[in-house]
Amino acid sequence: MSSGLLDVSGISKAFGGVHAVDEFSFTANPGEIVGIIGPNGAGKTTVFNLVTGVYVPDRGSVVLDGVTLSGKRQDEIARQGIGRTFQNIRLFKGLNVIENVMTASDPSAPYDFLSAILALPKKRAADRAAAEKARDYLSLVGLSGIEEARPEALPYGLQRKLELARALALQPKVILLDEPAAGLNPSEVRDFIDLVLRLHERFNFTIVFIEHRMEVVMNLSHKLYVLSFGKLLASGEPETVRRNPEVIEAYIGEED
Amino acid sequence: MDYIYSILTLTGITMIGVMGTYMVTGLTGQFSFGQAAFMAVGGYVSAMLALKFNVPFVFAALAGAAAATLSGLLVGLPTVRLRRDYISLVTFGFGEAIISVLNNSAQLTGGAEGLVGIPKRVDLPLVAISVACCIFVVACYKNSKYGRQCLALRTDELAARSMGIDVNRLKLVTFLFASAITGYAGVLYAFYAQYLEPGYFNWTISAEWLIIVFVGGINSLTGALVSAAILTSLPEMLRFASAWRIIIYCVIVLLIINFRPNGIFGDWEINRLWKKKNNEKQRTPGKGAQA
Repeated sequence: MSSGLLDVSGISKAFGGVHAVDEFSFTANPGEIVGIIGPNGAGKTTVFNLVTGVYVPDRGSVVLDGVTLSGKRQDEIARQGIGRTFQNIRLFKGLNVIENVMTASDPSAPYDFLSAILALPKKRAADRAAAEKARDYLSLVGLSGIEEARPEALPYGLQRKLELARALALQPKVILLDEPAAGLNPSEVRDFIDLVLRLHERFNFTIVFIEHRMEVVMNLSHKLYVLSFGKLLASGEPETVRRNPEVIEAYIGEED
Repeated sequence: MDYIYSILTLTGITMIGVMGTYMVTGLTGQFSFGQAAFMAVGGYVSAMLALKFNVPFVFAALAGAAAATLSGLLVGLPTVRLRRDYISLVTFGFGEAIISVLNNSAQLTGGAEGLVGIPKRVDLPLVAISVACCIFVVACYKNSKYGRQCLALRTDELAARSMGIDVNRLKLVTFLFASAITGYAGVLYAFYAQYLEPGYFNWTISAEWLIIVFVGGINSLTGALVSAAILTSLPEMLRFASAWRIIIYCVIVLLIINFRPNGIFGDWEINRLWKKKNNEKQRTPGKGAQA
């Protein structure tokens, strides 16, 4: 057994007769950027949903920093230190930009019901501190100055960044990015790669991401896992994986 | 004068009840079709304590709100796990069950004939103060970590959970708080009207409160309150039109729902008026627009 920061070993999930994920394992070491690629319907997002507790795995285990996550509730897993973004952006429409980021610290905000409904000084101080922190995360991804905007009114690229800021604000041990570059135009994609590399350099996050775009995969990942029909097809250094003929056949379909 | 006085008092009591519906429906996005039943619990428990045991009003009022909260716990515990459409079924059933119990325990509650002889302890100033206090606590709740988490889970439960939000717990806390406030509205009603009958608290009242919240703007406490004030007093103001007033009332509601699907106020809150000014003051040049 390897012992990385995030250890996923032999997780399986079947929906009816379909084995969406079959005995899949991967490890992310501290500070590593791990890519998961695979054709459409390979089960990549299901892997994320199994790790974050949206689904309970039929078999296998998920261990984060020595703590077993499989079987825990989704919100408990998030608080244990796994942040994520979604393939189709899921921001909170009823809240403005800064409040979206503040939801990350709200579950652990240090005040109780009574100080909330009476707006006691303790509550106001805690909320001010949370807003200040949220502002920091927003400026980190380059979203300063639009704190009061409605998330649904933002351009797509900025919504992606906001979702990233919200996940970062959880201060997770591992952050999962589900197709973070989907729907971005080429210059936004380069921008995004730079942003992730810059953040990674500064905070040494552990990142696991799902992606289709080779540009993103090759530029970001230290290690790659290829998933096909729910099974692990290949894994290793990005360059080696890219030259693997099986991977080329299954994923790219042709040599490029 | 007495007439206007009584309309104002009843409007105030309705506003408090509507705040309960606003919290359940507006904040957590669940449909409570039995909210008025919590008003019945609050009203009956406090009135019976005062009548049978001579409990002073303050304690009776506290007990009424507490009893409503307790029944909220009874309904809330099993329902917070359910999908939102089932929640409306369960709350509807609970509401009608309460009415049934009140109707059928005539020795205790007076049954369909009603509970009479409740001492008068509530007048307009007390209702006005109560409305102000309830607005304050509900607005603070909305503006706190609780409110933010509620609004987050209302738009997207899955994403809310992935942010570490304990969705079920938050729904329950909000539901209990709403039950307490609605129960208090029941206490005020009992000690103002001096008379309670089960029929007053059936699902049509709950449905009316839902309509009020939707007309005002599902995401706006300001909207819920303004629309409660208008829609409660409207039928009275239209009294000159006698038989037509219900039709006029319905047409107005339909027009608003049709042409402003998000309600009159959408998610606008009155505090944005002074919040905006503060923000402009705070923003020092050079800080901010660097995106």
